[in-house]
Amino acid sequence: MAMLTVSDLVVEFVHDGYSVRPLDGMSFEGHEGELVVLLGPSGCGKTTLLSCLGGILTPTSGRIQVGDVEVTALPRSELEAYRRRTIGFVFQAFNLIPSLTARENIAMPMMLTGYSKRQAFDRADELLGVVGLTERAHHKPSKLSGGQQQRVAVARGLGHDPRLLLADEPTANLDHIQAEAVIRLLQELRSQGRLIVVSTHDARLVPIADRIVQMVPDAAHDDGQTRTATFAAGASIFEQGDASDVVYVIESGEIDIVRVLADGGEELLGRLGPGQYFGELGPLLGFRRSASARAATRVELTVMDPRVFRERILHRR
Amino acid sequence: MILLTVRDLRYRLVRFVVVTLLGSVVFALLFVATGLVEQFNKEPYLAVDAIGGDFWVLREGVSGPFTAASTMPVTAGDAIVADAVAPVVSARSSLLPEDGGDDNEEIVIIGGEVPGLGLAEPSSGRGVEAPGEVVVDDTLDADVGDVVLIAGAPFTVVGTTTDTTILAGIPLVFVALEDAQDLVFRSREVVSGFLADGAVTASPDDTVVLSSDEVAADTLGPLDGAIASIDLVRVLLWVVAIIIIGAVVYLSALERQRDFAVLKAVGVSNRTLLGSLGLQAVLVALAAVALAAVIQLFLAPAFPLKVRMPASAFWQLPLFAVIMAILASLAGMRRVARSDPALAFSGAGG
Repeated sequence: MAMLTVSDLVVEFVHDGYSVRPLDGMSFEGHEGELVVLLGPSGCGKTTLLSCLGGILTPTSGRIQVGDVEVTALPRSELEAYRRRTIGFVFQAFNLIPSLTARENIAMPMMLTGYSKRQAFDRADELLGVVGLTERAHHKPSKLSGGQQQRVAVARGLGHDPRLLLADEPTANLDHIQAEAVIRLLQELRSQGRLIVVSTHDARLVPIADRIVQMVPDAAHDDGQTRTATFAAGASIFEQGDASDVVYVIESGEIDIVRVLADGGEELLGRLGPGQYFGELGPLLGFRRSASARAATRVELTVMDPRVFRERILHRR
Repeated sequence: MILLTVRDLRYRLVRFVVVTLLGSVVFALLFVATGLVEQFNKEPYLAVDAIGGDFWVLREGVSGPFTAASTMPVTAGDAIVADAVAPVVSARSSLLPEDGGDDNEEIVIIGGEVPGLGLAEPSSGRGVEAPGEVVVDDTLDADVGDVVLIAGAPFTVVGTTTDTTILAGIPLVFVALEDAQDLVFRSREVVSGFLADGAVTASPDDTVVLSSDEVAADTLGPLDGAIASIDLVRVLLWVVAIIIIGAVVYLSALERQRDFAVLKAVGVSNRTLLGSLGLQAVLVALAAVALAAVIQLFLAPAFPLKVRMPASAFWQLPLFAVIMAILASLAGMRRVARSDPALAFSGAGG
């Protein structure tokens, strides 16, 4: 049985009056002893997904099951205890408390969640040994390198021996030597039977991953082929939030680009006519569709693979 | 929680030291203001108590012996029935050292029968035994054996009294009844009123009988405005203290938002984090009060009026300071309570 099951997860929120859906039907599983890598560019919803897994953010719909706990069904009052018992966090920005030493940074969350001072410091000493920083125990974060800070942050995340460790871009601020040490540490932690979920756009983590979750779905490219498509007036060409795969060039007719507002209404962003193209940024940059396209009249389109579009249209200019 | 609080105080030591010093100056002024109000309130009661007598018999329509002029024939005393009755003279006057100078001191003359009611027990020297002798309050710059001029007449200081001032520091001087009558009325037939021990069961029709507490309360009347002003200043000082401590705690909450977000993310309860912030405010406030208790020892003697620090101030002020500190930290606490643990995921490294 999977230790982590994510099913049809949807997160939608309002930003600047628009409805944004960073996660749309996300599903995957993770097992004990696995390193799951959430791979994708900035802004694709990796941190949003980690926030949901950690019980910090409540998804709009869908289900998250960690062991026998259905996280998405937990009331807010129980999420604190869920985080305290089950989850370890490692943050991209390290986020160590600057007034505390490395040892105190590891011990403090434990002390504030019910461990005795002695238990917390004994565990902190043990974890400092695990991350190889025993000799830096009494140094404050400002006296530690980025890699050392991240190792302390990992140790802090392991304080209460969580079953699930969530790491947000753990190598993002590190050079290759420091990153290697953190990657090696994650490998060791995985081998101890934990499930580790790492969000990253760092390809160095891919080879050690047991499971890779592509946060931006691979587009079904047409292998360089172009085709024509015809839409009747009022028909939807694509919808806001859809995966981006192809670019459209208008041969005849007109289309409307509309954005869905938070209140359910729509805002007309523009009307395009023959010779103009649309929907190019999504597939070129790996984003989902940021607006919907509708046929304003009967419209005939040339549908292109983004690579073909780049060669034929952009380079021609 | 204590470790987190103490470490943060140390981390931001300079700021907290500055705030503690500022706060201690404010609290020291609060101590002094409290001492002044205490002195104003206690002063007339102590003075009236030193003069003696349970009741004062004055001419009808007179509010009190120190706030209005009262004259009565000395024979009116024959119609007063009490355990003991003695004529008394009280009047505002001035005092000069015999060797001259311009230091004309405003005083209140109290004349009483020797021996008898009206003449306070001296704390040093001896009491008035004959005309030409005076016992003065020790706030006057006069020692036993000195000769002073009261309304131009020479008197020899034979003793001094303590806590015998009224109306915010005007000292009382005690002379023989005849001397007071000569100085004030130029007549031995007139007095200001009568002091009586025990219940007054009979008195002339055109007189009013006031208890010593009523006389003291009446004497306090002219200072109502001053006391109310000091009380207002005290309120303003509390507001300043709240702003100082509130501002530094709020600033701390703002700067530590990320820390609190991280701790929330790992399951630390809001209550614990709010407690840590509140504890920080309380520690700063208590440190400021402790320092203020020392500062006021040096500050109080610099005031021209006696500062009578009530013992209760030393537990009330810290108690109010703790309550104030918690109130002051509410804005910061609100900030922490509302901070989103998701904030832990954002921001640059370092």
